[in-house]
Amino acid sequence: MNDTLLSVSIALVFGIATFMILRRDLIRVAIGVTLLSHATNMLIVSTGAFLGDRAPIITGEEAVSTGGIFIDDLAAGILAPVIPEGTEMAYVDPLVQALTLTAIVISLATTAFLLILCYRLYQEQGTTDVSEIRRLKG
Amino acid sequence: MDIIQHVPIIMIALPVFFAAFTILFRSKSGLQKALNVGVFALLFILSLRLLFYVWDNGILVYEVGEWGKYGILLVADLLGAGMVVLSSLISLMAMIYATDYMDRKALDATFFPLFNLMAAGLNGIFLTGDIFNMFVFFEILVLSSCGLIVLTGRGDHTKMADKLEAIFKYLILNIVSITLMLVAIASLYATVGTLNMADIAVKVAYLAEAGTLPWHFHVIAMTLIVVFGYKAAMFPLHFWLADVHPSAPAPIHAMLSGMVIKVGVYGILRVHYLIFNETMFMLQPILILLSLITIAVGATSAIGQYDLKRMLAYSSVSQIGYVLLGVGMGTAYALTAAIVYLVNHAVAKSMLFLATGETLYHAGTKDIRKMGGFAKSSPFLGSIFLIGAMSIAGLPPTGGFFSKLVLFDAGLSSEYYVPVAIALIFAIFTLFYLFRTWLAIFWGEIKDTDKADAYAGRNPTVAIKVALAFLACVVIYMGVYPEHLLSLSGTIAEQLLDPQPYITAVLERSVR
Repeated sequence: MNDTLLSVSIALVFGIATFMILRRDLIRVAIGVTLLSHATNMLIVSTGAFLGDRAPIITGEEAVSTGGIFIDDLAAGILAPVIPEGTEMAYVDPLVQALTLTAIVISLATTAFLLILCYRLYQEQGTTDVSEIRRLKG
Repeated sequence: MDIIQHVPIIMIALPVFFAAFTILFRSKSGLQKALNVGVFALLFILSLRLLFYVWDNGILVYEVGEWGKYGILLVADLLGAGMVVLSSLISLMAMIYATDYMDRKALDATFFPLFNLMAAGLNGIFLTGDIFNMFVFFEILVLSSCGLIVLTGRGDHTKMADKLEAIFKYLILNIVSITLMLVAIASLYATVGTLNMADIAVKVAYLAEAGTLPWHFHVIAMTLIVVFGYKAAMFPLHFWLADVHPSAPAPIHAMLSGMVIKVGVYGILRVHYLIFNETMFMLQPILILLSLITIAVGATSAIGQYDLKRMLAYSSVSQIGYVLLGVGMGTAYALTAAIVYLVNHAVAKSMLFLATGETLYHAGTKDIRKMGGFAKSSPFLGSIFLIGAMSIAGLPPTGGFFSKLVLFDAGLSSEYYVPVAIALIFAIFTLFYLFRTWLAIFWGEIKDTDKADAYAGRNPTVAIKVALAFLACVVIYMGVYPEHLLSLSGTIAEQLLDPQPYITAVLERSVR
């Protein structure tokens, strides 16, 4: 149930982001791009085991009881390194959270650059309407 | 431990460090130029040593942080090391050229840091063994190249408003495509639980053998084809290139068309031939079809252009189609041909773009119809431009002849008669539009007689001549002695089709 709700909300944010990117106003396009990166971040977090009541912190006791934090045994059909399938764990995959942090930082940089670019475009061409910014053709 | 073991990380860390360090010298222009040219020469020498080391001793794996396959690994195999040599060569030449070409204001403040970051991004993409890390380097490459397109040089007749519009297109499309890549990576991680490409390949092979490969795996493969196809300007995603690349100043134009669009081809070669082997039977016909349309669309669009830079940008679209044709055929010989084509096109096209920048400065306009008779006022540029045009069109004794010969031979030997026929027809188009342009610019009478007096004062400086002449020597060398490149590419193609040595070299690391 929880997972379904999460998937639906990620899909909704993706949809809104696509809609915004297709608008004609520069700032709306920028907002759409930001929403797109938010939707992706949510998607990445959701790929880790999502149960809601567990933290991505591996304490010493658990690491010992499961034989170390790196468990991926092809012969036993276990693919994931940190959370083996079908195994009860007291923590969620910390890697996806690290990935999300990286993605957030990158989207911060691109958004800042994009907003400055929108402002400079407005200064140079005197409009924020994408359909009027069409000097390059041919 | 020998210093050579650390070269993969030096290739990335040194330009990143220098991107920050070089700002300290912004008031001392001469020192800054000398330092940066020195660093790029050092990077070129190191990359050559890395290639020879990998050729002699096999794949070199560097662990960043000693986490084994769970951390980030830098893997220098022959493909990665070869691409690093290529990008180091072109960025060194573009850097030498840029020291005299770029405007003083742009050069002192922003050019060197951003160019260093661009080189770091390229080297990182070619050397990383981790698919998420590849995404991070893609972002570094995109943002630094966006900043570089704005800068102005002396032969750059594009207005600032046009440049900003081009960057807006480039940035929005790149963010969307890179987001798509992130979605694909997240889905891949959810499927196999690892980000290391060699490890993914092992687990995918295990899943395929057990018959439990989920259907969305094919969707991930297609999504990544879209992402890399966008980077390489493959047919339905090629439209941005003709707006963005001509807006950049000549050295950056050379880097973008020479190396940055090759990143997409590298991505398909690395990721799809390593991880998505199971889906290639489905993707190869799509790749061949799209590459043929790319060739046709690029060549026909180039014929109708009077803007020199724009015509050459469409020519890049057409040429990248030939590389993707080789990648799509997928036999060992065809992959060899694709890599030979990639190298030859990268060197010849970046030389042509550097020469174009100087020609536009010489002419004072970017309209081909207003140029003419430059063979008299600048014979050096005429001969360089001719060598570049011959290589792109595929005439001996330049490298381009062998790349086309090997590609068509590979196509015929695996019985792709119709694709080869179509590619041949558009090779004649290439010959036509390049030589028509060369004749119009360098032969005939001076068309714009009012400006003719200014031509003599606008000739290339020594640094620009050195960069152009060196690249011309490389182009001729690859045409006269093609066997070195052919044997290297042949070995790379064999390693791509049999990735077991790559996987073994990466996975034998133990976690400490």
